[in-house]
Amino acid sequence: MKKKIIVFGYNNLSYEAISRLDQKSHDVLIIETDLSLKKSAEEKGFKTKNIDFRSDDNLKSIGIGQSIDVIFCFLQEDSSNVFLTLSARAIDINLDIIAIAGSSQSAEKLIAAGANKIIDPYQICGQKIHELIKKPDITNIIDHTVFGRDDLHIAEVEIPIGSYLENTYSSTLSLSDQHNLVLIGIVDKELGDNLHFAIGEKDHKLDAGDIIVVLGPSREIKAFKQEVEKCLV
Amino acid sequence: MFAKTIVYFAYLLKTSVYYKHSKLFFYDLLENPQSKMKSYFDVFMICLVMLSVFFLVYSVEHELSEAGEFFEQCVVTVFISEYLLRAWLFSDSHLIITKEYERAEYLNTPFSVFNSLKKVLGKKMEYMFSLFAIIDLLAILPSYRPLRILRILLIFRLFKLFRYSNSIKVFADVLSSKRFELITLAIFMGFLVFISTIAIYLFENNSSGGNIRHLYDAFYWSIVTISTVGYGDITPITFGGRLVTVALILTGLGGLSFFTSIIVSAFNEKMYTLRENRTYAELSRFENFIIICGFGRVGQEIARKFEKDQQPFIVIDTEENNILLAKEKNYLYIQDDASKNTVLINAGINAGASSILCATGNDVINVYVTLTSRFLNPEINIIARANRDDNVNKLYQAGANNVIQPFEISGLLAAEYVGQPVAFEAILGILQEQKQILMETLVVYPATLLENKKIGDIDFKNRKLTLVGVISSNKIHVKRRNRYRVKNQHFYFNPENHFELQAQDMVIVLGRKYSIEHFQDQIEKSRLRSGKRS
Repeated sequence: MKKKIIVFGYNNLSYEAISRLDQKSHDVLIIETDLSLKKSAEEKGFKTKNIDFRSDDNLKSIGIGQSIDVIFCFLQEDSSNVFLTLSARAIDINLDIIAIAGSSQSAEKLIAAGANKIIDPYQICGQKIHELIKKPDITNIIDHTVFGRDDLHIAEVEIPIGSYLENTYSSTLSLSDQHNLVLIGIVDKELGDNLHFAIGEKDHKLDAGDIIVVLGPSREIKAFKQEVEKCLV
Repeated sequence: MFAKTIVYFAYLLKTSVYYKHSKLFFYDLLENPQSKMKSYFDVFMICLVMLSVFFLVYSVEHELSEAGEFFEQCVVTVFISEYLLRAWLFSDSHLIITKEYERAEYLNTPFSVFNSLKKVLGKKMEYMFSLFAIIDLLAILPSYRPLRILRILLIFRLFKLFRYSNSIKVFADVLSSKRFELITLAIFMGFLVFISTIAIYLFENNSSGGNIRHLYDAFYWSIVTISTVGYGDITPITFGGRLVTVALILTGLGGLSFFTSIIVSAFNEKMYTLRENRTYAELSRFENFIIICGFGRVGQEIARKFEKDQQPFIVIDTEENNILLAKEKNYLYIQDDASKNTVLINAGINAGASSILCATGNDVINVYVTLTSRFLNPEINIIARANRDDNVNKLYQAGANNVIQPFEISGLLAAEYVGQPVAFEAILGILQEQKQILMETLVVYPATLLENKKIGDIDFKNRKLTLVGVISSNKIHVKRRNRYRVKNQHFYFNPENHFELQAQDMVIVLGRKYSIEHFQDQIEKSRLRSGKRS
């Protein structure tokens, strides 16, 4: 089933986010009132609509509260993002809301308004530059892996029911030898939803529903995913 | 023959390394404002001057002991050597002579040793008549016994203090910048004093029944009155005398306020440069600082992190509001345009800065500052922020080492959050070093426990670490699998068990802070041990 996403505001950030999403598994709609921006989004092949986000009826008309899973509040003004978050949260309690914040104060307001995740581009940028100064090697590696300029990725693999990994222990995974992957962490559902980094502190028993986070070349990740899911049938 | 000896001697000095070194040493000690030695020397001299003045005051009513006399001798010796050394440093006499000689040779004219010696002497005289040299000399002379009568000149030792302190130089600078106004005022006041002196003498002299005995009294009274001090030891009694007094007091008030306003405005004008000079002076103490151009949201975030790390940095921004914020936080700052060469040079781009960050919200400025910095210092590490995708390449072309795109990273994180929320947490966790878990590099130093070791033989699991990969520029590894080019090195992801570590390789591990630090300590210890053995 495709995840339905609505992106409010078309700009660098939303373009970057949308193009990073897997188009096959996500259904994206962009809401933009500026006609020239709307046009340029359409030229890139995105679905767009021009509605006023200030009216709840308009929000409901595009599917918020029914079919929409995630909204991105990427409007220019922090106040608009807070308003939008507040309105959307009032319509749908389970909606995933991701908003950008231009300052640390508005981040707090967005959280209070009900956003699930706040992204502060300036803070992230500052952090990145700081890291580049402090740990240039690591940052370059992360750039090449996470930020996907090379073929290395961090990916999550959920263990399905009936997988051969069920009832095994994390210490016996030996991903690096068999799959050419590095195990980064595990979400052990028995212990809650937290991610436990795989640094040899605890041996986790793997069950269906647990999530393994691995780092590696995308081909190997794909192969590993297939192998984990193979035993389903 | 005499001329030949002189020229020979001059060339000898010119080629002598020892001579050059010793001159450089004394230059650092006495004159070089950037040198640490000079600041120590200045402090030492200030103490010496104070002590000697203390002895001077003491000797007014007491006889100095033998030790006291000896101390005085030492002080004078130091002063004399300082005076001579400064005279020596002031000009390069041997260069003057060799230049004259070479000129004469070239033009085929006879070389006149007296002419060149005259030039040498002229240079030295120039030194001797400089203000500070005169003060120095006056501070020494009274110690010479036949000149004991000039004892009062020992007070010049206190003037010597000005040499060792910057603030007085600044004050002199401020005054000299208002030379025209001050001279005008001085002439005006001079006339005023002259007129009032004559007038009061005429009205208040003894024969007219007044208190003024002679012209000096009249002059003294004028100064006391015009400055609004007014001791009252001499007071006018006649009608005419009082009229002069009223007029003098009123004009004196005007003159005084004029003088005050000149000084205040001069300081106001200079204040900015003064503060900047202080910033530069503070900056010159650091060896490895970072220049942040642009103190917007990104700049502030970086500065906050550096403050936490106690990493010295300086902020450059033109905007008043941003500078105000930097001022509030007590950061070092320059309020100026970072794209100007002089601003970057003053900020120390060639004097101790290790990195420069172009973090303004305007890509045009970032490109320009990057270009300027690269031109000024080909070695410096430049990190630039690109707000638009199409400017990334321009920044790299301008010479940036790294380019950061805030919106790209944020967009990517947003996408990651939707697609792979758990992986997103992992990335964020590593990026922000949450829960004390971090990725770190372990450098394989020569002759430590990691050198020439196979990956399979290092028990990462027991050390509670996860091996991610190895960064290396060593050609030995070239044939290994999972090779990724990162700048001018290679990153070997998930190396095999028989991968043998070479010196200068970097091992990337994931783990808790303690485990990483512990392992680093062990590596360091093994290095020390091997160092002892060899």
